[in-house]
Amino acid sequence: MRLAELAQILDLRALTPGTAASAEEPDSEVTRGYASDLLSDVLANAPRGAVLVTLQVHLNVVAVASHAGLRAVIFSSGRLPDDEVIERAEQEGLVLYSSQADTFNIVGRLYELGLRGSST
Amino acid sequence: MPCSKLNDRMTLKTRRLSRFRADLHVHTALSPCASDEMTPPAIVRTAMAKGLDIIAVCDHNSAGNVEAVQVAARQQAAQSDGATLAVLCGMEVTSAEEVHVLGLFPDLEAAHKVSDRIRGCLPPADQEYYSFFGRQSLLSADGEEIGLESASLAAAVPLPVDAVVSLIHGAGGLAIAAHVDRRSFSVYSQLGFFPRSAGFDAIEVSRRLRAESELWKELRQLGLPVIRSSDSHFLDELGTAATELYLCEPTFAELALAFAGLEERRVVHA
Repeated sequence: MRLAELAQILDLRALTPGTAASAEEPDSEVTRGYASDLLSDVLANAPRGAVLVTLQVHLNVVAVASHAGLRAVIFSSGRLPDDEVIERAEQEGLVLYSSQADTFNIVGRLYELGLRGSST
Repeated sequence: MPCSKLNDRMTLKTRRLSRFRADLHVHTALSPCASDEMTPPAIVRTAMAKGLDIIAVCDHNSAGNVEAVQVAARQQAAQSDGATLAVLCGMEVTSAEEVHVLGLFPDLEAAHKVSDRIRGCLPPADQEYYSFFGRQSLLSADGEEIGLESASLAAAVPLPVDAVVSLIHGAGGLAIAAHVDRRSFSVYSQLGFFPRSAGFDAIEVSRRLRAESELWKELRQLGLPVIRSSDSHFLDELGTAATELYLCEPTFAELALAFAGLEERRVVHA
């Protein structure tokens, strides 16, 4: 599924307009997801190209998401990062979203839409 | 001799205690998130200019630059009118739950014992890591880069909080729950509660926490000294928060007495 389509279905708020994927971009297909609030765990275990769902909004999220090669981050439960985080994400080409829904519900919807976690 | 101006010092003649101003949480450019301007000579110069008597160098998961800052402080003391800055050995350990724990150590040997143990648990860093997280500069006392730390200091150590505190105590150190008022990397953000059984010697808050706040009052009920530190990652953060203490001299041993509230040494809670 394309990132922009996913964002529309889940009613996600785009935080990085500069890097938000458009439906026309061929490389915005997303097939994997990961959910964790421990960034050390994300760094070690998140599959490349995945969408991350997390409560953690601090600056390290961008460094970790970039290093792990993630496609986008969805901040759950209405949590919002500050401007420095958004600016850094745009510099790194990382897409950030915010959702009012909690992590469990977001992950459930992503799974229904066909995203899967790490291969075992 | 501490570098406080004479009119800032209150001497209690019976116990020869003096009031000292300490910032017990200062990063150098070894920490990947800290600025390159955090070199030993710049840190010492700035700390002294801001009226600090004591600092503790606490880089993430490493004591690699502590000695360089201590040497820089001795060099600056030799060049000045005798005013010195006491530099204590420390580090900021990231536990498995991503709680930040400050360790303060009696000497370099103790600090390096823990630093080496932790280093052995961390994944290696590569060029990609440095580009996303920042350089991890090992520095000389003159502020020259002499190498890069090759372990990922931004990573978490696979030890839970209790084990990190035990490790610090095992080396004769003091364990402090770092910046508990922050919404990330604090005992409250990561665990949801203050772990009373972990054995912390003190609690640290940032400059943002007001003494009138509910959290401050709650922390004072825990029966541990509460210190205030800058957690400086940039030079202009030095001196923005400090802890006032009554000690006989600016040393680790005196600090340990103050944390325990023994022999009239104490932390001032404003």
